[in-house]
Amino acid sequence: MNNRTKDFIWKLKMLRKEPVLVLLIIIILSALTIFVIFPLVMILRYSITTDDGGYSLRTIIDVVKNSSYRFTFMNSLKLGGIAAVIATVIGYIFAFTITRTEVPCKGFLKTMATLPIISPPFVLSLSIIFLFGRKGLITNNLLGITDFNVYGMHSLILVQSLSFFPVAYLTLTGILEAIDSSVEDAALNLGASRWTIFWTVTFPLSLPGIFSALLLVFIQSLQDFSNPAVIGGGFPTLGVEAYRVITGMYDLRAGAILSVMLLLPSLAAFLLQKYWISGKGFVTVTGKPSQNRTKIDQKHIVIPLFAICLLLCSVIILFYGTVIVGAFVKVWGINYSVTLDHFRYVFSIGFKPLKNAIILALAATPIAGLTGMAIAYLTVRKKFIAKSYMSLASLLTFALPGTVVGISYILAFNDRPFLLTGTAFILICVFVFRNLPVGIEGATSALMQIDPSIEEASINMGANSFQTFFYITLPLIKGAFFSGLVYSFVKSMTAVSAIIFLVSAKWNVVTTRIFSLFEVSQYSDAAAYIVIMIIVIMAAIYILSFLVNRMDSSQKVAKR
Amino acid sequence: MRAKIISTLVITLATICLLSGCVKKTEHTADGKVKQSKELTMYCALPETEIPSYLEAFKEETGITVNFVRLSAGEILSKIQVEKNNPQASIWYGGNCDSFIAATNSDLLEAYRSPELVNIPETYQDPIGSWSPVYVGALAFAVDKDWFSSKGLEYPHSWQDLLKPEFKGQISMAHPGSSGTAYTILATMVQMLGEEEAMTYMAELNTNIRQYTKSGSAPPKNVGLGEAAIGLAFSHDCLKPAVQGYPVEVSFADDGTGYEIGAIAIIKNGPEDEVENAKKFIDWALSKKGQDIYSTNKSFRLPVNSNAVVPQGAINISDLPVIEYDFLWAGENRKRLIEKFTEVIAAKENLK
Repeated sequence: MNNRTKDFIWKLKMLRKEPVLVLLIIIILSALTIFVIFPLVMILRYSITTDDGGYSLRTIIDVVKNSSYRFTFMNSLKLGGIAAVIATVIGYIFAFTITRTEVPCKGFLKTMATLPIISPPFVLSLSIIFLFGRKGLITNNLLGITDFNVYGMHSLILVQSLSFFPVAYLTLTGILEAIDSSVEDAALNLGASRWTIFWTVTFPLSLPGIFSALLLVFIQSLQDFSNPAVIGGGFPTLGVEAYRVITGMYDLRAGAILSVMLLLPSLAAFLLQKYWISGKGFVTVTGKPSQNRTKIDQKHIVIPLFAICLLLCSVIILFYGTVIVGAFVKVWGINYSVTLDHFRYVFSIGFKPLKNAIILALAATPIAGLTGMAIAYLTVRKKFIAKSYMSLASLLTFALPGTVVGISYILAFNDRPFLLTGTAFILICVFVFRNLPVGIEGATSALMQIDPSIEEASINMGANSFQTFFYITLPLIKGAFFSGLVYSFVKSMTAVSAIIFLVSAKWNVVTTRIFSLFEVSQYSDAAAYIVIMIIVIMAAIYILSFLVNRMDSSQKVAKR
Repeated sequence: MRAKIISTLVITLATICLLSGCVKKTEHTADGKVKQSKELTMYCALPETEIPSYLEAFKEETGITVNFVRLSAGEILSKIQVEKNNPQASIWYGGNCDSFIAATNSDLLEAYRSPELVNIPETYQDPIGSWSPVYVGALAFAVDKDWFSSKGLEYPHSWQDLLKPEFKGQISMAHPGSSGTAYTILATMVQMLGEEEAMTYMAELNTNIRQYTKSGSAPPKNVGLGEAAIGLAFSHDCLKPAVQGYPVEVSFADDGTGYEIGAIAIIKNGPEDEVENAKKFIDWALSKKGQDIYSTNKSFRLPVNSNAVVPQGAINISDLPVIEYDFLWAGENRKRLIEKFTEVIAAKENLK
């Protein structure tokens, strides 16, 4: 018997000891197969089917050969790379300042760092036009420039960095909180400067989180549709091009191939990240008692960091403030007299789409959050068959452009045995599988900090894997759990492109309503909806944060 | 303990959701026909803010509740294409007839000839009746009132006017490859000037173009926002920013203008218990009652029924110098013309 078979049999034996765990693995694997792999296979099959029912690779060859698609592809990669780096740097500055230093108004900073994931992105683009356009408040009224060009790559980089950095922030906070303070404090006690500690301890230990953040932002930028569609101008990106080919050239097959091409760089980035991190040790949390972290309070460190954060906050406030102002004025951009008409309009239309969105998001959030944690826990801690399949599959729906996700879901679930179109369930599925990776990445990075012996101790004391997961692991990675929940809730509330093909007459949601107001120049009415949505989402984030923190303290009580 | 409860809950919830997904029933009447429900499912490409005005009036008339999903015409086409084996809606209302022609070619529509067609000019009608014309929209220029008065310039009144050097970088139109509106512009120019000359015209126009937008209704919006001085679109889209209070006015090309035919059709193999309701809706939408709503709901669409009232503020198509727009030819040559246009513009852009 060779080593591989031995290993395989050993894995099987381990699993037999814990039937519930096996069941969980089977459930997750089959869910991923049905809701991620199956639709992807269906759309690939569709794109190589010819009109008379045969198969042909013509479409693929045509797409690959087309030089303008190749140009667009390179554009998307360039944009994704730049946005990923900028967003991760901003996210790290916020996360570090909030977790490591003594600065005032942390609650405010936290709010500002999560705010930008809320809004449907084309609203940010609209703010840019109102602020920096030809009739823009800043460019025209303030600076007197009449011909400023807001369209193109520069605006796209700004808008994407601004709307995606919260993901980097959420991922990095999770990991920075998880790093045991004792390693940094030990270095401090040994006389290292804060600067040395950062570069030799904190930064290297947070590398898994940095790579996760880069990966998540890169993928999001690649598949982004709304921002490039509104503000891209002459800068074509693959996500927009795929949509154009599908709905403008009526060529669904070529559009699908283009979108699947987007998976290649995303997968490459994913594999690179896994390869880089594998085999390196990041464990700091060992179960030995450690004190509360001594926060950095030296003025020469705190003041510059705080200043940078405030500067970024003011940019965010400027952009979102513009939207809020827009909701309260007569005609956004033209007539700035204050009015409540737009809110009256929104109230007169009714709240069913908003209620629908909240119901769907509430249903999807706990499932996405817990499944994400479970997948991270299983893939980092357990040995089982098809493990890499699980971590790869969980990423795919996130990496595809939303439009294509929607179309592939129709192809897969509009017929028996999985007749689901038109139901709320299919929307919940999209939300769950499309929003998993943020939680997974955060939890994976955090779990790498934690010595498995803590969990082993729990198991040795007689607890099963489930109890260990809920009472030991989950509280230790609650930062990542929280960010997974927040991301999933917000994205479920604000999704546009993924669900445009899946909403039904019964289950229509608020974002499609906002989008259609935008279509007929009712910008201020759209802004009023956004303001209401921001309030709902902020409330939800506070409730989630309360619940997750409670989880922690109730555990502490239980331990006593 | 709690861990177990939570996990059991999650699993049961998921199972219930899965099982509740698939319930479908059809009832039959005594004579064996499928009993019609009191509902109708619609894919609608008109702006969501307009839709209720039609549906409420229809319900008052017939008692049938229409449930709708709002998508752009291109999106509806893709959706019914992938839903082909089990269509979820029975009727498609609104959008350029181009996409209806493409749907006909993929065998996605059920032919239906409404008795109301007698009141509609034959030039608008599909010869094989797989879709029906329901409104028309003439191509127009949306202009920024403020920009023109500050520069002391006159509004453009012909396609040639658009080439004037003072409009450099001031014109916004959609890309023909992503918008039916822009394709109508391209097809109009080809039908007016001939293919080669039309391409030369588009290449010259390119110098004055600020941006090719994705959506056909975006150029007038850009004019409203001050991002362009002139926007090319259908007149009903040109008038919308003005209703919201943006300084936009409309002018037309005196040397001939093209127009779109907005269509309505029955989706093939849609829910059985809605087919008759779908026919009722088409009859109603083409009737004077259905067509008169265009004049009251600020949609500014031009009715096709010759007995209907023309909306105030809109210009009747018979008062415009419209060309004889051959929409069937336009639909058939779509792919080729768009590819040629894209090549011509790409070559121009590289020289810039």
